Amino acid sequence: MQLGGAIYLLPSTAGFTIEQRENLITNKSPEGNVVAWRSVRSSRFPAYCLDANLRVARHQQWHRAVFLDAKPQAVGLVADEVQLLPRAETVISPFTPLGLPPTRAGHLFSGAWVTGNRAILVFNPAALASYLQALGEAT
Amino acid sequence: MKVRRAGPRLHALEVPLAGMTLLVPSASVAEVVNPSDLTAVPFSEPWLLGVVGWRTLAVPVVSFEALLGAPVPASHAGGKILIFYPMSGRKEWEFYGVLATAEPRPQALDASQPTVPEAELPNSSYIASGLKIGGQPMLIPDLETMKQAFYP
Repeated sequence: MQLGGAIYLLPSTAGFTIEQRENLITNKSPEGNVVAWRSVRSSRFPAYCLDANLRVARHQQWHRAVFLDAKPQAVGLVADEVQLLPRAETVISPFTPLGLPPTRAGHLFSGAWVTGNRAILVFNPAALASYLQALGEAT
Repeated sequence: MKVRRAGPRLHALEVPLAGMTLLVPSASVAEVVNPSDLTAVPFSEPWLLGVVGWRTLAVPVVSFEALLGAPVPASHAGGKILIFYPMSGRKEWEFYGVLATAEPRPQALDASQPTVPEAELPNSSYIASGLKIGGQPMLIPDLETMKQAFYP
């Protein structure tokens, strides 16, 4: 998925749902961290807009959101572009970021797809969900 | 006339950095590569410059200057990345890189090189000691302390 010009991968082992923008309730208010909600029965799950550095951003140039299956509730992030990659074409190498992990669930990345000298980082789904859930609704 | 006998030789690499020079065992370095576009790692430590693809692995690249609290060199032009073998006790794929400002130079060390007085060493736990070679101080990194910072 493309976030603010940077590309990240989400492993297919992570449970997730891709939603079209028109199926979501967008946040009309310029305030707050949430950019849209996915409504399922009596629950609504927040989606956040992140820039390339994974900091909260607010822009309207997005078409899809990816919702991660997470406890206690699903949480999503909107993406400039989402593409499903064939498993056979994508070899993921293990990767441990150095230094302190930024979330309670550990480092945000657990692997990388290496092509030549370029590395595309692969999210650790549990840590990404933990990070997104910690953003909350406020500014 | 007594001839001073030098001890066994140790092959080392002199690694030029901004404002300092490191000295590392040649055997600890897997390869020296040209810097390419590093993939940034969001929310990482300031000394982690990014990740480079090397062989089939993603290798984190570190600024030793930043580890010591100095500014990160603005440009990588003309620099090299030293790919180090994984630290002791780490997984076999956990190579890491250090950005140098120029091509490392080989040095053959014996017991004849004087040590750098402690007062002349940077006040950092990441420096274990230093040797003077050709009158120039060369700093020997403390890999155990680095390991604690890398894998807390």
